[in-house]
Amino acid sequence: MSSIHRDLNLLDSHIRTFNYRNLRRIDWFLLGVTFALFAFGLTALYSASQNIGPDASILEIYYVRQFIAFCLGLSIALVVVCIDYRALISLAPAMYIGIVVLLIAVLLFGKEAKGGQHWLSLGGPFNLQPSELSKLALVYSLAWYLSAVKDRIQSIFYFGLTFAIAGGLLLLILAQKDLGTALVLPPVVLTMLYAAGCRKRYLIGIALAGIVAVGTVFATVDKLPLEDYQKNRIKSFWSPDADPLASGYQIIQTKIAVGSGQMWGKGIGKGTQTHLRFLPEFHTDFIFALIAEEMGFVGAVLVICLFALFMLRGVALARDCPDLAGSLLAVGCVTIIGFHVFVNIAITLHLLPITGLPLPFLSYGGSFCVTTMMCVGTLLSVHVRKGFFD
Amino acid sequence: MTTTTGRKRFEGFEGRMSGMAVVIVVLSALLCARLWQLQVVEGSVYTKQAEDNRLDYEVIKSPRGIIYGRDETVVLADNRAALDLMLTPAMLRDVDAVSKSASTVAQILQIKTIDLLSGTRDAFKSGVALDEAFPLDDIEEGDRAEVQAFFHAAERVYDVTRQLGEMVGVDPNTIFGNVISAIRRKKPFEQILVKQDISKTERMRVEEYSFALQGVYTVARPQRRYYYGETAGQILGWLNEIDADTLASKRPRYKMGDIIGRDGIEQRYELDLKGYDGAMIVTRYNGSVPQLRTDVHGLPYIEVDSMGRSLALERRQDAIAGKPIFTTLDIELQMECERILRDELLAEDIVDIQAEGAIVVMDADTGELLALASVPTYDPNIFTTQSPDQKQIIDGVIKDPRKPMLHRAFQTHYPPGSVFKVLMAVAALEEGIVDEHTTFSCGGSFRLGSHTWRCWRRGGHGGVAMVDALAFSCDVYFYNVGQRIGPEKLNKWSHMLGLGESTGIDLPREVPGAVPSPEKKAAAAKARKSKNRDDYNWYPGDTINMSIGQGMVDATVLQNAVLMASVMNGGKRVRPHVNLGVGPQVSEKLISDNTLRIVHAGMFKCVDKKQPPSGTGREARIEGLEIIGKTGTAQVAHLSQLKGRKEREVPYELRDHALFVAGVTNMKPRLAVSIIVEHGLHGSTTAAPVAKKIFDYYYKKQKLKGDENAPQEPVNVAMYGGPLE
Repeated sequence: MSSIHRDLNLLDSHIRTFNYRNLRRIDWFLLGVTFALFAFGLTALYSASQNIGPDASILEIYYVRQFIAFCLGLSIALVVVCIDYRALISLAPAMYIGIVVLLIAVLLFGKEAKGGQHWLSLGGPFNLQPSELSKLALVYSLAWYLSAVKDRIQSIFYFGLTFAIAGGLLLLILAQKDLGTALVLPPVVLTMLYAAGCRKRYLIGIALAGIVAVGTVFATVDKLPLEDYQKNRIKSFWSPDADPLASGYQIIQTKIAVGSGQMWGKGIGKGTQTHLRFLPEFHTDFIFALIAEEMGFVGAVLVICLFALFMLRGVALARDCPDLAGSLLAVGCVTIIGFHVFVNIAITLHLLPITGLPLPFLSYGGSFCVTTMMCVGTLLSVHVRKGFFD
Repeated sequence: MTTTTGRKRFEGFEGRMSGMAVVIVVLSALLCARLWQLQVVEGSVYTKQAEDNRLDYEVIKSPRGIIYGRDETVVLADNRAALDLMLTPAMLRDVDAVSKSASTVAQILQIKTIDLLSGTRDAFKSGVALDEAFPLDDIEEGDRAEVQAFFHAAERVYDVTRQLGEMVGVDPNTIFGNVISAIRRKKPFEQILVKQDISKTERMRVEEYSFALQGVYTVARPQRRYYYGETAGQILGWLNEIDADTLASKRPRYKMGDIIGRDGIEQRYELDLKGYDGAMIVTRYNGSVPQLRTDVHGLPYIEVDSMGRSLALERRQDAIAGKPIFTTLDIELQMECERILRDELLAEDIVDIQAEGAIVVMDADTGELLALASVPTYDPNIFTTQSPDQKQIIDGVIKDPRKPMLHRAFQTHYPPGSVFKVLMAVAALEEGIVDEHTTFSCGGSFRLGSHTWRCWRRGGHGGVAMVDALAFSCDVYFYNVGQRIGPEKLNKWSHMLGLGESTGIDLPREVPGAVPSPEKKAAAAKARKSKNRDDYNWYPGDTINMSIGQGMVDATVLQNAVLMASVMNGGKRVRPHVNLGVGPQVSEKLISDNTLRIVHAGMFKCVDKKQPPSGTGREARIEGLEIIGKTGTAQVAHLSQLKGRKEREVPYELRDHALFVAGVTNMKPRLAVSIIVEHGLHGSTTAAPVAKKIFDYYYKKQKLKGDENAPQEPVNVAMYGGPLE
């Protein structure tokens, strides 16, 4: 391809809001890592699927459903790649208002499941979980806002205004008691503020305030307006053996599952803790325990390394993007995924109390899979357009 | 392009991105380090915990050792397979249909599934039709068919339980209720006990209809069976579940719910009979309850848990059966002894009411107990056979005032009465107090200080030497001997020949009896803090009382037998035993041949002398057998209580005990017999005939069996004072 053709192509891809040719310059490294992680996830779910009764229909098998969700997510991601992210950013205010409406709607009409997940039924097998979408909506909204205010973020007013934007969403999510999602939002805000170059002392102040708040939560857990199961989760972190049959049970059994994997693991499908049902929720939030049990230290470290590679690549994409809005989008997406990864694995390894966060690419769950793939799509989209600024 | 497009690189942005990268690397490394700690450093600890989670140990009970008679042809106690009728709901026809459609039907009827199921159960119980219990008027046409299908399935399930209940006599509503409960708890593979230990006819009835009763089967459970019921009940002992206190000291060989021997051979040889439990180790699911089945051989196996999940067998270690015990008991002789005591004495009007008493039949040379009868006895089967009124039956035996669980031969003692004169004779001759010719004059009474002791024969025996004193049981002769020999030497000989101390029989709860001495008398008085000086001092009268086996002398029937054996077997003390494996345990020769000759002569005359004055044991005489014996009458009440009454008018519980010891010296084996009939009045008329019956029965039976044990030449007749008749 001649140089003029290349330039024309580039121009073409950036002039049009939607251009499938963007797919040609996709970042194969990031996508490769995504596929690798997803392969791990499918393997784990294949193992987990052994527990489903023999008369389950094919659509009830975990890995089949997950594969469908992944294909759906991948299609959405590829569509996102084709769309100019700046067009999406310019739609951010609309997105924000839309998500607020949905969050209010779900409060009024939604179905509630245990653990604070709220759904809007879309008919048929499709459900919408607005809180999932709110994570991405926040990233887009903040990218829009921060790239608009630019250096003025150094002033306390614009700094504070960021929290007003995020706070609205946070309150609505807390109103439906979705603690897991609510926990994701603050780190996203802080990381994006940090990337946008706000004053460090503001950040440190906020971080200190956060630490004090968390400390207060632990100290006064009994008096907080939380559900009983949430309080128990926090309390049982410190003393899982105090009540081994209730909330401490999950912690103890998770540690046994992870620890008994030892160096090489028990083999795919041979994890006794998971298959004999000593460990509940092993296919969703605790899938990492299944991997650690069946694939051992070697497999578990491999998964952590893949996640690290994914995040580092995401950060590199953000760094290489000449556009502030694009960089901030990438930073936000990396934060969403990174927070889930670190917190989920830390919970599994008994470094943090149980909060109910899934592990991206690995945990079973269609809604979250789609969100994750939208993050991936956004990252790829930021990457394919960086050449325009060279 | 302008900066508004964001083309400009922001100040410090790259640095901040590097910062993020560092955070990512650090956090990842932290997680890896934690993984290393959990999986590699502490991995083995968690592996152990995972194994504990996963593996379930199901005990395979060891079959209890069989108790035989003298050889394998006679089984006294073994383990029969008690068959418990079980039912697995999931395998029952139509249960699947009921459990699958229950939630749908409940939705149609707009009630909870639990209420639908329990309502169904209650409807059958009270005989209400299902469509009355759950009216279908408001239900749509399409849904109605579904509900009715559920009703029909439930009715068919109930029909099966009704048939089953009728076959084995169990309320069908109980069975049906259990089936419904299993469905409700989503444990359809749970085993439901229909009836414990079904009879053979019930089993055949069920098997006949097995085509209609899928999911109904039996599980075998070993249950102790005592073939001969009451016979030798106290010797065999009984079993029950181990209690918490005993269990604490017997872990790990014993587990909760294990049975343990409580008396007799079952208790004494518990560790041999118990065997070693085996185990099945299965991989189980969290919270799963393995369902135990047994195959045609009664061996347990596990396939599924209560939720129908199959459980993989990891390892199986079969149980090691308990060792068999061969006993010394001749069970036919034992039965005969019990029969004589229980039935014959009453039938022949020798006693007024059914006798209580004991018989010991012992091989004098080895100490093997061929029979060890105590009447009344009890059936140890009652402790292991489940029945609705089991508790009352057991209570009846335990609280029976006739004490059937007490073995009267060695678990209680009596004054030996004149039987003690055998020991007196041996001691006096050995100590040189008297010789064969020493004569004392019996005028019917013996005077010492201000007291007078009577001879049983008011008229007196005239001048008697040792042989006649034994033959006619002259009290005065032995008063004189006792006065001369003193309590110390009597104690010495009692100790040597086994009186006043345990015989060492291999059965529990043996009592030692008592032979008094000045020291023991004082110690006993001190122990009960007596204020009476007489209780501390030994008086010559105490020795006199002791001389005829009264006063403070107590001996078990078994001790009398051991004493008898000693004078028969050449003066050796034997250890009586019921376990053939123990083997003969015989002491050194303790009595000189001369003494034995004299004592034998007296005891032979006791049985053999027919012409008046006749021997007190003449009722035991059998032509052709050389029988030696000694009668005894143990006083129960003080003489003053009996004054002026005729014997058979004395209240039963105040009557004297009748004792007799005897032995056959010219046959093989030489049997020593010791008998007591409580409140039987006279050894001579009540107990001596019993010995005759026993010898007669045993040696006749032996003759029938063949030449092997045929009568032999009279043994060492010369030693016993020359051929007697």
